[in-house]
Amino acid sequence: MIWLILAIVLIVLIVAGICVYYINKIIVLSNRIDNAWSQIDVQLKKRADLVPNLVETVKGYMKHEKDAIKMVTEARERMLGATSMKERVKAEGELTKALKTIFAIAENYPKLRASENFRLLQEQLEGIENKVAYARQFYNDSVLRFNNTISTIPGVWFAKIIGKDKQREYFEIAEEERKPVKVEF
Amino acid sequence: MEKISFYDQIAKNKRNSILLAAFVFFILSLLIYVIGEILAPEFSLIFLIFAIFFVLLYTYGTYMYGDKVVLAATNAKPIKEDDKNYLHLINTVEGLSIAAGIPKPKIYVIESDEINAFATGRNPENASIAVTTGLLKNLKRDEIEGVIGHEISHIKNYDIRFMTLVAVMVGLVAILSHLLLRSMRYGSRREERKGGSLLIIIGLILALISPIIVRLVQFAVSRRREFLADASSVELTRYPEGLASALEKIMKINQGKMNVSEAVSHLFFTDPNRSPLDKLYATHPPIEERIKILRSM
Repeated sequence: MIWLILAIVLIVLIVAGICVYYINKIIVLSNRIDNAWSQIDVQLKKRADLVPNLVETVKGYMKHEKDAIKMVTEARERMLGATSMKERVKAEGELTKALKTIFAIAENYPKLRASENFRLLQEQLEGIENKVAYARQFYNDSVLRFNNTISTIPGVWFAKIIGKDKQREYFEIAEEERKPVKVEF
Repeated sequence: MEKISFYDQIAKNKRNSILLAAFVFFILSLLIYVIGEILAPEFSLIFLIFAIFFVLLYTYGTYMYGDKVVLAATNAKPIKEDDKNYLHLINTVEGLSIAAGIPKPKIYVIESDEINAFATGRNPENASIAVTTGLLKNLKRDEIEGVIGHEISHIKNYDIRFMTLVAVMVGLVAILSHLLLRSMRYGSRREERKGGSLLIIIGLILALISPIIVRLVQFAVSRRREFLADASSVELTRYPEGLASALEKIMKINQGKMNVSEAVSHLFFTDPNRSPLDKLYATHPPIEERIKILRSM
């Protein structure tokens, strides 16, 4: 009799342990995605803050490149005004491209390239560009782990119980490569 | 698949750290006790108590401040958060720690012409990365990225905890064994020993083998760890060629003349005290092999 009770208690404990483990795991993974997203957000904001600086610096030298400069300013505004993730991602891609154009044009302006201010800005923007890419990588890794967990047994059962059974969205940019703004001096 | 082995590695490192600390605790306590037994047999109990107390304190201190000891021993200097001269290094470290999902480690620079780097600390929250000025001068950006990725992986894997413990604990074991051998000569000259001869023999054996054991630990850990960190670095940078060509440059440029303590050499990206061509006493896996693996990824 006593053995039966012990066995039942043991089984209950094991089942409870498994439940706690999986529910915690799902919550941790889900939180990690949110955290990863805010990492991206931080970098995008930093970049948006630097863009006006860049425009100011570049303007004086690039008198005939109004279009390129306008593209950057507009892309930035669209990014800041974006409400959905899709819009945001799209505007981000455009800003990246616009910046790439600016830095490519800057190659033709030796005076600009020699300016300390420009060099620092370029280094900072390039750094941020890389960080955005890395943050995106971490975000997608996190989403992958979460989606795998909630779509395989037994995670799928626990995800339903706590209402976190919705697959999360990847942060994808077609054709957007890791090192977009690449200028060697 | 990849992920599972990653988490296994973390668990293994934590376990190994505890095992190592327990092992060193035991050996050191015994060593101090034996030294006491030889020098002053009347006070052997007091010696034993002292030994245990001292070694406990030592183990705790090593765990908490081992990284500081290593950084001081290698003459690494901290750089400012926003130092304009190191902007790219700071950005790279920050970016790769974002990719690995760990907090940004503190950054140090070592004055040296050799290309090298290491990471230390007890966990990702308390970690440091040090690179040589030679690395910054000789490597291109992709290459620096590869090396930093390797070090970030050591941090994420908790390799740093185990390796730092090994580094700092090796130091004391070596010193104490040395001391024991000396005191033994001194003790036997003073008078004929009656009791405790068994202890002396044990002590002697310990004194002889403990440095060897610790050396072996150092050997055993380095190779697999380095390969794994290389692979994890590529997982972060997604660009094996960067790391491969960094290693190629190291083969060409490094002389192995950094002259750092042997106790910390296994922490480094490549052996700081021996030329990459010297394979006889290598504590690190051969560079050609690392390059070959990277190129086949």
